[in-house]
Amino acid sequence: MPESPITTTETDKQLVKSTLLGETSAFGAIVERYWNMVVALALSKVSDAAEAEDIAQESFLKAYSQLPGLRDPSRLAGWLSKITIQQCSNSLRKTVRHRRTLRCRATPVEELDERPAMTANPGLTQNQIQFVRQTVRRLPEKFRTLIIMRFVAGLSTVKIAEQLGKRPGTVRVWLHRAYKILRKDLAPLLEEVKSL
Amino acid sequence: MTCEKYKNLIEKYVEGIISDGQIAELKTHAETCESCREEFERCVLLQDVVKHAFSSPLAAEQAGASLVAKLSAEPNLRLRPARFGTALFAGKRVAIAAGILLAVGLFLGFAIGRTGKSAWTPLTAQVPISAGKIEGTVLVRHEGSDVWQALDTGSNIYLGDTFHSTAMSACVLKLDKKSTLELNQNSMLVLKLYNDETQFFLEHGECTASLQSPHGPFFINTPHGRVEALGTEFTVKVIDE
Repeated sequence: MPESPITTTETDKQLVKSTLLGETSAFGAIVERYWNMVVALALSKVSDAAEAEDIAQESFLKAYSQLPGLRDPSRLAGWLSKITIQQCSNSLRKTVRHRRTLRCRATPVEELDERPAMTANPGLTQNQIQFVRQTVRRLPEKFRTLIIMRFVAGLSTVKIAEQLGKRPGTVRVWLHRAYKILRKDLAPLLEEVKSL
Repeated sequence: MTCEKYKNLIEKYVEGIISDGQIAELKTHAETCESCREEFERCVLLQDVVKHAFSSPLAAEQAGASLVAKLSAEPNLRLRPARFGTALFAGKRVAIAAGILLAVGLFLGFAIGRTGKSAWTPLTAQVPISAGKIEGTVLVRHEGSDVWQALDTGSNIYLGDTFHSTAMSACVLKLDKKSTLELNQNSMLVLKLYNDETQFFLEHGECTASLQSPHGPFFINTPHGRVEALGTEFTVKVIDE
């Protein structure tokens, strides 16, 4: 089985334990491990990358302060994902209120250009990135979380089921449904990327 | 081996539960089978595209170091001692609290409902009318109640009260210092708020009004019409046909 970028739950337990004993660097390791997943979860709810990173930071700070209350440290990723989704909802509520006050609108998608995106993959343009993000955002929330945990965090369906407290069979079915939708909706983009 | 087996392997790849040996096997098969190759390549590409579209420009190591520095720099950001559950269990706590409140509310409502009959307090406003001289037995029923009580001299009168004088009985309602309304025997009178004014409705029987002169508009309503006081004394009689 290919190595998951995220190591075993025992290590999560150890990191949580060390953080609780006052080792801040252990929490740094937790952030390092789940940073991409948390940012991706935020990006699956908000459109602005900088805002998503702010949400990720806030989520980790909240997680840090509430870490003593974490009942099962082996389910750290699932716990973090729930905190992140909650933070996204709070942030969206604030943004709506702010926009109502200022009566301004979100940046239209048409304004985005064809410049290469500032991500790890220089092959995708900003427009293509936005297209993928919007396609994922259209998925139901339970599918979105699964897609991020599977494809971004690299967790297997078995581990995702453990983290979210679901049955592996349910997670498998949801993942395949989400995958089927993405495969259909992203087909033109996949052809475009493939031909390059 | 059939392609069905490799389709299952591709599904396992999507789920992240495929072994290295199975991946090698799949790749070998894909070299000779075009449809499986296309399917596998699309699967790998889709995962890459999603991963890269959602990757953060800020490296994870940098983010970790930055947060650790922030935690060290700000003493306010401390580990909070574990309370009853965490934010994730806040919903449960709220549900429990709501349940307790509901139970207490139901208990109080039941208890008040049971004791309410014996210690009944009228809900409508008290009006500046009082019961004067009473002969025989005159009954009063407050609005919203089914209980008839004997009217006593000096009793407070409330909006919505219904007065019933039995045979050989009568009562006087004092409207102010000099004006009175006398309810004769076998009569029923209701005090109601109508057009923001306290008004009398004579359902049946007879009543006599003695008003101080000069007086403002004064009416007695009956099932057949409304009688206005033009002088200082008059009697209204409602007879059932």
